Amino acid sequence: MVISYVRRAYSSFAAHVFDIPPRLMAFMFFLILLFLPLAGISSSKMSVLIYANIFAIFAVSWDLLVGRTGQISLGHALLFGIGGYSSALLFKYYGLPTWITIPAAMLFSILVSLLIGFPCLRVKGPYLALVTMAVPLIIQLTFKWGPLYSIFGGDTGIRDLPRFFDLILIREQRISVYYLTLLLLFISSVIIYKIANSKTGIVFISILDDEVASKACGINITKYKLMSFVISGLFASLAGCIHAHVLEGVDPSMFSLTISFFAVIMTFLGGIGTIYGPIVGSYIYSVLDSFVLPELPKLLERFNVDITSAFESAKLLIFTLIVLILVIKWPRGVARFTTDKLKDLEEARDLDERGPRIWKTYKKKKK
Amino acid sequence: MLIEEIILFGAISGGVYALLALGFTLIYGISGITNLAHGSFYMLGAYMFHILGFRLLGSDTPVSTSFVVLILAALIVGIIGSVAYRLAIHPVLGDEVAVMVVTVCLALIFQQLVLLIVGLTFRDPTPSVKWPPGSFLTTSTNILGVNLENSKILAFAVSLGLFGCLLVFISKTKIGKAMKAVSQDREIAMLMGINTKRLYMLTMALSASLAAIAGILITTSTTYSALAPMWRYPLALSFSIVILGGLGSIKGSLIGGFIIGYAEQTVANTVPQGGAIVGVVPLIVMVLVLLLKPKGLFGKRIEMEE
Repeated sequence: MVISYVRRAYSSFAAHVFDIPPRLMAFMFFLILLFLPLAGISSSKMSVLIYANIFAIFAVSWDLLVGRTGQISLGHALLFGIGGYSSALLFKYYGLPTWITIPAAMLFSILVSLLIGFPCLRVKGPYLALVTMAVPLIIQLTFKWGPLYSIFGGDTGIRDLPRFFDLILIREQRISVYYLTLLLLFISSVIIYKIANSKTGIVFISILDDEVASKACGINITKYKLMSFVISGLFASLAGCIHAHVLEGVDPSMFSLTISFFAVIMTFLGGIGTIYGPIVGSYIYSVLDSFVLPELPKLLERFNVDITSAFESAKLLIFTLIVLILVIKWPRGVARFTTDKLKDLEEARDLDERGPRIWKTYKKKKK
Repeated sequence: MLIEEIILFGAISGGVYALLALGFTLIYGISGITNLAHGSFYMLGAYMFHILGFRLLGSDTPVSTSFVVLILAALIVGIIGSVAYRLAIHPVLGDEVAVMVVTVCLALIFQQLVLLIVGLTFRDPTPSVKWPPGSFLTTSTNILGVNLENSKILAFAVSLGLFGCLLVFISKTKIGKAMKAVSQDREIAMLMGINTKRLYMLTMALSASLAAIAGILITTSTTYSALAPMWRYPLALSFSIVILGGLGSIKGSLIGGFIIGYAEQTVANTVPQGGAIVGVVPLIVMVLVLLLKPKGLFGKRIEMEE
């Protein structure tokens, strides 16, 4: 009886305290990110956050294609690399400034995604996943090929690109880049979120749910699949451009499976099919990757286990294990779990008098 | 000279590739799993051969012991495969995205585990995978004016022999018939009393050990050393072969293997700096097949997803 009373008190308390509308939550999240540089983070840690922003754009675009339209692509690095390389090549051969090369690269990526998407989207399921995995590998090997060395620069790629815009107002360069990437992340995620929740987005979901039925309803599914592919490719190439100019160079590893897999890891960490999830996932990944896990060797030293020499491989091992367990045990992701809980709490407020029953329904749902 | 080289080397790599692709096509045809960890079983096979043959028995074992080691390595990798299936793939069966993500995760986990364990204990990033020195397998024979290592001939013979054995196994034994039944209609097969979970575990073990044998045969005859990230190329190879032959078709994987083997050798010997770009060949073949004839050469109709 005491326990039920405590539960009731807790659910009543939680329903009133944690009741924040999702829009406000997203706003608060961005607000926190906005004031993060003021917390006195060192320059090297700042670049971690910059990469978190870049890969958040990338993962959000993957989520639109896979989570919302159901077209499994395991080679999203294709457009990431195409964006970076076309911006770099435009600089190398015509010496154009960054603010021209990035939009031009994005336009070019539309062309590429139309060219590649139109034939590829005819196949589906595992076939689509395999063909999308193959295309970036082909491009990677071609760029490394000896006879094309003078154009693409082989293994080293193209170096000495112009830096990403420098804001005059803020003296420290890392912080200005951080704010720019944050702004771009905000703009692109809002655009993708709006698209995903518009009428077009509903058509995307109908393709995800049942392709044949949506065809029967008179939807031109090829057109919508292609549209999803192009939109997600556009933002992936934007992420690639930013990555190239922040790193001041491109190389063939931009097309690697690891980059494609980053999007998968982040999306599954945050929750697939929610657009906002990958942003959370990207930050979780980056914070774990460079703030939490580096403490591990120090912790293990106390138990006389020395893994500093093999730490890099152990890190990837831990991440893949986390993703594996997430996919198997908790496929809905962190961000969606939070919003689900908030929804439950909202229900709980309406039925506040009945208190303990809500706890029961919540438990039932969890199964 | 060049043409003979292409013919012989193409046939040899084609035979082993067919064996490699057979495992991939079996597990896809029977359970519908797109096993992206297939290449890592190839890698694990080579490492197991190294660990069992060189670290535990020493490098001066007779050839007959090496064959036992090969079989043992394949068995161990098979057990690893079925355990991985039971722990990781079985809980997400039916969800394509999740299966692919899980299998890529498995491949990366195997890679990192191998890097950690082998790297930390042996302090040798590229352990050698060879037949024992001084045996007949390290010498070479002259066929059609081309010097062929005996290990390559052995690889060709063993892979074709195993392929034949498997064809017999599938068409004659009870388990093979059960596999066929499940691949035709899973639910009806379950109603007839076939334990699909156990059958899938068995198929996974079979496919993993086939990949391991292919890995040992290829590494002992070409590169002579194992490397942790070497699972990527065989994976690309096996899925391009399987798509060329038709997903789930056994005959297709044999013919697809030979086509890819010949295409690879032709490119490697005729295109300038062909050795560097040879990895593109199977991928380009795969993309072309998917665009022109998505069913593959011997594939059945691509079924509408439910």
